[in-house]
Amino acid sequence: MTLKEVLKGAVEEIASGFRRYPVWVALAHESIGDQHRRTTLGPLWLVLNYFLFAGAFVVVFGHRNEIENFPAYVATGLYVWLLMSEAINTAVPLFRREANYIKGTTLPLFVYVMRLAMQTVIRGAYSGAGWIVLMLFLVQPSLEQWLMAFAGLAVIVLALPAVITIFALLGAFFPDFEFITSNLVRVGMFLTPIFWIHGNDGGLRQMLYEYNPFTHFLAIVRQPIISGELPVMELLLCLGISAFAWVFAFFLLGVLRKKVVFVV
Amino acid sequence: MTVSIKAHSVGLRYRILRPLTLRPKDKRLLKTGGTISGSGRRQHVQALEDVSFELSAGDRLGLVGSNGAGKTTLLKMLYGIMEPTSGTLSISGRVDALFNINLGFRPEATGRRNIELRGLINGWTRRQIEEAMPEIIEFSELGDFIDMPFKSYSQGMAARLAFSVATTLTPEILLMDEWIGAGDAAFQKKAGERMNALTGQAGIVVLASHNDKLIQRVCNKVLVLEKGRVKKFAPLEKKRA
Repeated sequence: MTLKEVLKGAVEEIASGFRRYPVWVALAHESIGDQHRRTTLGPLWLVLNYFLFAGAFVVVFGHRNEIENFPAYVATGLYVWLLMSEAINTAVPLFRREANYIKGTTLPLFVYVMRLAMQTVIRGAYSGAGWIVLMLFLVQPSLEQWLMAFAGLAVIVLALPAVITIFALLGAFFPDFEFITSNLVRVGMFLTPIFWIHGNDGGLRQMLYEYNPFTHFLAIVRQPIISGELPVMELLLCLGISAFAWVFAFFLLGVLRKKVVFVV
Repeated sequence: MTVSIKAHSVGLRYRILRPLTLRPKDKRLLKTGGTISGSGRRQHVQALEDVSFELSAGDRLGLVGSNGAGKTTLLKMLYGIMEPTSGTLSISGRVDALFNINLGFRPEATGRRNIELRGLINGWTRRQIEEAMPEIIEFSELGDFIDMPFKSYSQGMAARLAFSVATTLTPEILLMDEWIGAGDAAFQKKAGERMNALTGQAGIVVLASHNDKLIQRVCNKVLVLEKGRVKKFAPLEKKRA
């Protein structure tokens, strides 16, 4: 397969996926509806889950904690982490879950990717409502702070389809990847500075802080809210990581898109 | 545009992905279609090999062969689910397939919503869905049940809805994996008439079936597959009744 064919295939795949937007928009809404159809609170469970999670973290880890405005620090970090980790965890089995569709229809793979991205954004919007309420209560951010934080969230949302594509393709070809990822995400929750901060004293803790890409994605949303500053370096780094993710996803999609039907 | 299908030396070969395991080798795989080559974790299936044929407007091709001969694989390739790994395949005309007609119905959504979703998955425009909706509802004989959740339907009702959605728009090239039917005796008759009309209206029909009588009745050409290779491709001689 030549590079030209790979690029052409990826462009076709992504373009036709975007063209079929009515399919993924409709299916994403149906899936969210199905998950909560018979419950009394409906998708408000997502808000409640977030409140419970954030509350538990604040109570358990907040005791004698020296981080400035710890409840807001944890609540924002947790919100961003849950958004990203959910996308990764659900992306890995994506193509195997959609095997019947992949083997029975001509829908582009990118339709499934966008459907999951859309679902993640909708679910994130519900828990995001809880996050906004908490921030209004804990920090009362200015309009400028909100805009900077939402710019950070926009970078994350823009990276979602690329990240989902990569994890879904790897999950389709390497079934073990699902277990590796779920374990790493579980451990990653503690290795990512959601409820801790490094003390500029070097060592493993600072390395985990600096070299963990999630640290920076958390920072571009959290720093504007906590300190009112735009973390320019982190923002550039996250844009770079996102661009790399898109290039990698593009390449993988071009190479593997026609092989997925044989492995799911 | 004239509808046509041109397959020249088409082949499909793919690698079997097998996880590392301590279990004894699963020999059942050898009973599947195509030819398996290689050993251990590097096995390949040659599902189709050197398949050539040409069809033009008015052709009705019967795909014949034992289980695993490659009929469904060839249909999926013509539909665009799989791409040939060798040879060339060129298709002119809008292709639609009548396999997996039950795929994707959502139990919690109403019949009406399921028609919309199926339409979107099939690539219909919003306008086409709106235009086809009354006919689908009428043909499926679901009445007021159309606004009830799909999960409340009996098996017959679900089959009628699936059949009605799948056979509403006439494609230029129609692919079928066995003749489809649905519902009770009365609906079966109606469904049979619609299938006859559909195969009559489509530019090209490709029908995979084990039913010789059906192939004789519907088709004017036959392609016999054996282990993924063409054993025979010829006009069908109609048997005298």
